[in-house]
Amino acid sequence: MSNDLIRQYETKLNQLTFNSRPIIDELTIVAKDNPIIADQIVDLIKNRIYKAVPDQKLFILYLLDSICKTVGNPYNIFIADEVYDLYTHVFQFLNDTLRNKMVNLLNTWKEMKTISNDPLFPEEELAKIEEFIKKAGYPKNIIPEAQQLLINDITQIIPIFENKIKTNPTPKLQERYTALGQLKTMLSNQVITPAELAAVQNHLHNIKQQELRNSNTPTPAATPAPTPAQVTQPPIQVQVAQVVEPQRQASLPPKPQSRPQTNSGPPSLPPVPQIPKINIAIGLFNDLLLSGLVKKDQEPIPGSKPTYSLVFPETKYSPMSNNEEVSISQLEDILLASSGVARSEYEKLKFGEILTISKKTKTNDQLQQFINSNKPSSSMINLLYEDKPKKCPTCGKRFTDDTDGLTKHRLHFDWHFRINKKISTKGGNIQSRNWYLDDYDWVHFKDENLLEFSTTETIMATPEVEMNVTQPGSQYVVVPPNDTNMINRCVICREQVKATYNDEVGEWCWLDCIRVPGEPKNSRKIVHISCFNESNKKRSAETELNTNVKREKL
Amino acid sequence: MSLPGFESGIIIDEQQIQKHIITIPIGSEWRIEIPFKSFFKFKVISGIAEINGTELPNNTELQLSGTKLAIYSPKTSQIGYFLVDNKDSIYDNGDNEFSEYLSNETNMSSIINLSMFIESRRQLNKSGPRILIVGGKFSGKSSLAKILSSYSLKLNNSPILVNLNPRDGVFSLPGSLTATPISDSFDIEAFNGYGLTTTTGTSRQNPKQPIVKNYGFTNYKDNLDLYKYQVSRLAVSVLSRLENDPSVNKSGIIIDTPPINNLKNKDDVSLIETIITDFQIDIVVVIGNEKLTLDLKNKFKHKKDSINIIKINKSQGCVELSDRFIRMAQEQSIKEYFHGTYKNRLSPFKIDIDLEGLKLYKFVLTKDFLSTMSFLPAGDEETENTNNEENILDKYYQILEDPSSSNLENSLITITHLEATNNSPGKDLLDTSVLGFVHISKVDDEKKKIKVLLPFPGVFPKNNYLISTNIGYSE
Repeated sequence: MSNDLIRQYETKLNQLTFNSRPIIDELTIVAKDNPIIADQIVDLIKNRIYKAVPDQKLFILYLLDSICKTVGNPYNIFIADEVYDLYTHVFQFLNDTLRNKMVNLLNTWKEMKTISNDPLFPEEELAKIEEFIKKAGYPKNIIPEAQQLLINDITQIIPIFENKIKTNPTPKLQERYTALGQLKTMLSNQVITPAELAAVQNHLHNIKQQELRNSNTPTPAATPAPTPAQVTQPPIQVQVAQVVEPQRQASLPPKPQSRPQTNSGPPSLPPVPQIPKINIAIGLFNDLLLSGLVKKDQEPIPGSKPTYSLVFPETKYSPMSNNEEVSISQLEDILLASSGVARSEYEKLKFGEILTISKKTKTNDQLQQFINSNKPSSSMINLLYEDKPKKCPTCGKRFTDDTDGLTKHRLHFDWHFRINKKISTKGGNIQSRNWYLDDYDWVHFKDENLLEFSTTETIMATPEVEMNVTQPGSQYVVVPPNDTNMINRCVICREQVKATYNDEVGEWCWLDCIRVPGEPKNSRKIVHISCFNESNKKRSAETELNTNVKREKL
Repeated sequence: MSLPGFESGIIIDEQQIQKHIITIPIGSEWRIEIPFKSFFKFKVISGIAEINGTELPNNTELQLSGTKLAIYSPKTSQIGYFLVDNKDSIYDNGDNEFSEYLSNETNMSSIINLSMFIESRRQLNKSGPRILIVGGKFSGKSSLAKILSSYSLKLNNSPILVNLNPRDGVFSLPGSLTATPISDSFDIEAFNGYGLTTTTGTSRQNPKQPIVKNYGFTNYKDNLDLYKYQVSRLAVSVLSRLENDPSVNKSGIIIDTPPINNLKNKDDVSLIETIITDFQIDIVVVIGNEKLTLDLKNKFKHKKDSINIIKINKSQGCVELSDRFIRMAQEQSIKEYFHGTYKNRLSPFKIDIDLEGLKLYKFVLTKDFLSTMSFLPAGDEETENTNNEENILDKYYQILEDPSSSNLENSLITITHLEATNNSPGKDLLDTSVLGFVHISKVDDEKKKIKVLLPFPGVFPKNNYLISTNIGYSE
């Protein structure tokens, strides 16, 4: 019976994919009528919150809210421990508007009391949540429409300043620009009183006026490629006004007199976002005018027909912060940053080559063409040879001449030297092929251990070596008591080892040897410590050695 | 027993090496054929020269024998050389002489382009490209695989070189399939130009660490099911390694394959499909075969966005090898497994062990298996699909009945990593990999003793499952 109910509940819950009062009410009532299965219902809801797509999480949280508020006990008690997790989980998936709604939700939780006059949720949980949203920068005050309009105004003025600063940077201009930026941040982050708002508006208006006046004085640097036509005042004012108040420009003829309307106070402005109202193309065109890329010639008579012409900027536009056009060097930086490793000169050269190649090999046909008939450039070939100028005379291996390359080169040289020395000692390098690794060991094997650059630290770090090896000279293997043959051999180098009498322990011992790890106490299998260390150098990945022969890779 | 090339103490006479000097112009290849009966001793006097992408050191004497290869000059080089007789007479059959010629018609530009394209793919994606090389017989697949690996290494990568051609032993013996991260240069002086794996001591070149899978035959068609099974198992290990090893993962995979001329044979089609799926191939390089390129493009039309199929011209320098030459080359690589190279001698270990108690299996030739199956009444084939593990194993490995001198002497035995239990090994025996190889040089049928050559001085791992290969060898 209750199983059926649960299943039905779940089905209904899955239908809560939009903010539906009826569904929430229905589910609340079911929850109210069946306190016996409260725990299961709570589980269902919790799971659903975690599993639902981000857009729908809030609705389910609303359901939970509804149940806790209308039913209360036991639901609010069941959920109390997890209310923080659930809240923060949902919060993370929402956009700003919805987050504000969640802040409201939290406020109701704080005020709400259950029938028994207890808090809906434990205060400490709510305090945790509050702490959390504070860290996330909430409550972000809902910004009144008027304020929003002001922000839009500033956003549109800022590019004018940027443009000016670029062509004619004066400290005053810079100061104003910074002030504008701060103003914008302030406006977008907090609600200000109507009085303050009016003050800001006034100030902003002043700035605007001033800037417009300035731009009317023809300073060659202020506008790229100045022409006589730009000296004419009204058209430029119109240009700016068009951008600042686009929705009115769309309806009114362009005339300077429209300006005072800005002062008439925000409440009179239409309460809808501005931009979508006009054709996007007009906005774009205005931006082009503003940036100076399109020049407008117009007679200083209202209503006269303007003529437009293209102007190429003197200084190339370089992207500021939020630009999607990313240049190659930036792309490289991004890659570099993401890899987390500083790129060497060699890697940079390689990257440059590769960029050109990947451009030439975009399609399959291009690729085949590239493979068949591209003549490798010398810079491409050099990547294989001269870009690593340090060539080892013994084996032909190449190294770069930066710090890393030189270090490796030195280690490589030392390694050749060690090996040669070892080989020149008669019998010093008797060796055999090791067994191959099994799948598990191979998958976890690191080839660095085979190379000359592997440091001794990693070798000593293996627990087995630490356990067995100390200083040569202090190690010996006591000849097994029932053994009469005093002569033994190292299993690695096959060299004879004769037992000597050790006075300290009073036993016959094979000096400088250890028993093969994993061999029983009385085993005669011994290795020289030096042989053991040497072979371990190559096998530092091996950790366990037991009687199992496949491990016998000493 | 005397080993070729082990006459140490030959001091190369500076005057001798000056006897013949050849200048290889930039971008040209000097193609040489060196018979087994001679040692070709040489050194690079000036410039840059390389063999299959591995750059040669300047002013260091090197030695080659029993091989046909090309020395390529990316920058004009001068090479001094002379020949000495290999005093080991077993190869003195006089069937070929040293020959050499220069050629400026190479496919090296294409290979460099290909290498750079591969490198660009490495920069684009987190996991590197997985490249499959296909082509007909003697088309230069292994050389291409080596060059691509070497150039990848030069560009600071360590790709996994996968050899699926059981004809060659790559860091192993013929009859095995291997995967080996190329973390350092190949040893061009080693036989076949690959090099050594890890040893108990220190070798002059850094060794490699392969994973080795059983196959037991030198032709992939001898037991295609087993071959494909092992290819898939190898792929599992290789892909796991990639997951665990970011530097290898970034570098990708380069796969060398047995010769395939076209897609007429459905076995070959399914083989290529198996490899492409199992290794998640994204670049197929076809050497010098227009027909095969087209066939593959048609076959993998549905994947044309995820797989690049690239055709590359065959090198003019490719030569056909006689069966005899191949056989001798295989013997050389077996010898190298136990005894090492002339610069890195290895000491194998000979012991006598009891034949009794060894868990010996043998590889099954598919045609033999089918002929036994044909005695079964019609319809019995169905039983093959039952879950009887013993039966599953039957078409791959079977217990070696009556091990004796007739079926063991002078043969190679694979030692698996799997330790014997009382039960039948079943699928575990298929899934395990190779611990190593031993050579049985003598079987005493009366005393039930065998003389075994172990690569490594230690206990014979007699608890592990052994599989007798079909590859004969005598010291």
